[in-house]
Amino acid sequence: MQRIKLLAMASVLTVALSVSVSAGNADLVKEGEKIFNTKKIGNCLACHAVNGKKINNPGNLGPKLQGLSAWPEQALYDKVYDPYATNPISAMPPFGKNGVLDDHQIKAVVAYLKTIN
Amino acid sequence: MKKSIVRASVLMLVGSVFLVAGGYNAQAEKDRKALVQYMEKKFSDPAKNKAMFFPYATDEDINKHLKKGVKFEEFRLGSYAIDKGGRDQYEEIKEMPPYEDNIDAGEELYKKYAFFKKCFPDPAIAGEYPKFDDKSGKVVTLTRAINQCLVANGEKPWKMTKGKIADLEAYFAAKSAEAGKKVNIQINSKAAADAYERGKKEYYSQRGYLKLSCANCHVQGSGNRVRREYLSPLLGHTTHFPVYRLKWQGLGTLERRIKGCEKNQGENPHKPSSDWTAEMLYFMSYMSNGLPVDGPDVRR
Ligand code: HEC
Ligand code: HEC
Repeated sequence: MQRIKLLAMASVLTVALSVSVSAGNADLVKEGEKIFNTKKIGNCLACHAVNGKKINNPGNLGPKLQGLSAWPEQALYDKVYDPYATNPISAMPPFGKNGVLDDHQIKAVVAYLKTIN
Repeated sequence: MKKSIVRASVLMLVGSVFLVAGGYNAQAEKDRKALVQYMEKKFSDPAKNKAMFFPYATDEDINKHLKKGVKFEEFRLGSYAIDKGGRDQYEEIKEMPPYEDNIDAGEELYKKYAFFKKCFPDPAIAGEYPKFDDKSGKVVTLTRAINQCLVANGEKPWKMTKGKIADLEAYFAAKSAEAGKKVNIQINSKAAADAYERGKKEYYSQRGYLKLSCANCHVQGSGNRVRREYLSPLLGHTTHFPVYRLKWQGLGTLERRIKGCEKNQGENPHKPSSDWTAEMLYFMSYMSNGLPVDGPDVRR
């Protein structure tokens, strides 16, 4: 009995979670896109063009971003949080480690990056 | 046994004579030559060197925008040495240079304050600064030297980034260019070499919350773009100041320009009057040794 109750609760929780993620996802993507393209926040466009998206004069100090929809979210999060973790001579700034972007903002950026094919 | 001692001491003698005769710039000269070689190679044939120098540039970036076979003397033009489109715009603006009045204003100041003639008998000196002053143990930029002259003659120092000081420097730069002067920075003591090394270290250090170094953008990054802006090479960075920037709608000194780039790094800029700024400029200016002085100039 106890067990069934727990299970039921768990599945209710899962449903609630997945609903909230997909309902909020479009907003999150939008927020991430804004961070990506705003000079005073992420300013990612200073260095990156993006495959399939129209961006006004992106730089090329970093690679054109493509195929990121296939990356695990954690890998994207880590890249934005601290690129030195995987590439010690990266010229990309560590946005999370240095407190430029907070946890929520990085998650928003990651949601946007996941839309890049 | 005796022989080898004699030989050793002869060698030591030779060594110390070499040092006394001006070997204090040996490391700086090595750095400078390596930088010239790197930049000449990078911009000899960007298409051929793409994988090594422009890993993320598209073929269009390279073939349509980057110049080929850039010559040593052209590096004084900053990003216009390497960016075709920028160069065309630049040449148009140069037909009606916006800084002519500033040069005249600078000449007026030079005449108005008679003591400037004592401090700077020859106005064609833009290529000789920064200097290292062994007495105070400090690097003296042209901006600092002008203020020292003012203060020594009972005047208040001027603002170091724009205004009168930039006008006077524009006059000095124009006189130097007219006289065909080249950048000629001297390192003549151990203390001077140490100051150079400190400037170099700062140039290559990651700083600010963005953790970018000047070299990220102006050595490795040169020829690549931040947004639409082609990044100029360190080689030639100091030859043409003060600069009239369209963005500023006015003239600014090197001290002013550097402050802007520290902000690019996400850094709280150092004071233009700081030793940090002076030593940084000492390193940067040495890197441009041998290039013609061609200030004042105009930049976006
Ligand atoms: C100053 C330049 C610069 C800025 C600003 C910058 N990046 Fe980068 N980025 C790079 C460079 C250089 C690389 C390649 C080296 C590496 O992977 O570390 C890179 C790599 C990446 C990669 C890996 C791409 C791949 O295919 O391997 C991702 C994802 C990325 N950046 C996302 C971002 C996001 C998101 C932002 C803004 C929050 C951003 N970058 C801001 C320079 C920059
Ligand atoms: C995020 C990239 C970036 C960083 C980091 C950076 N700069 Fe710049 N810098 C630029 C851009 C963009 C310009 C304008 C285009 C050009 O001339 O390169 C510029 C221009 C300059 C110029 C003027 C060049 C000219 O011909 O007028 C100087 C001098 C300069 N930077 C020095 C520095 C110094 C010193 C540092 C470190 C304290 C530094 N920069 C760090 C991006 C950067």
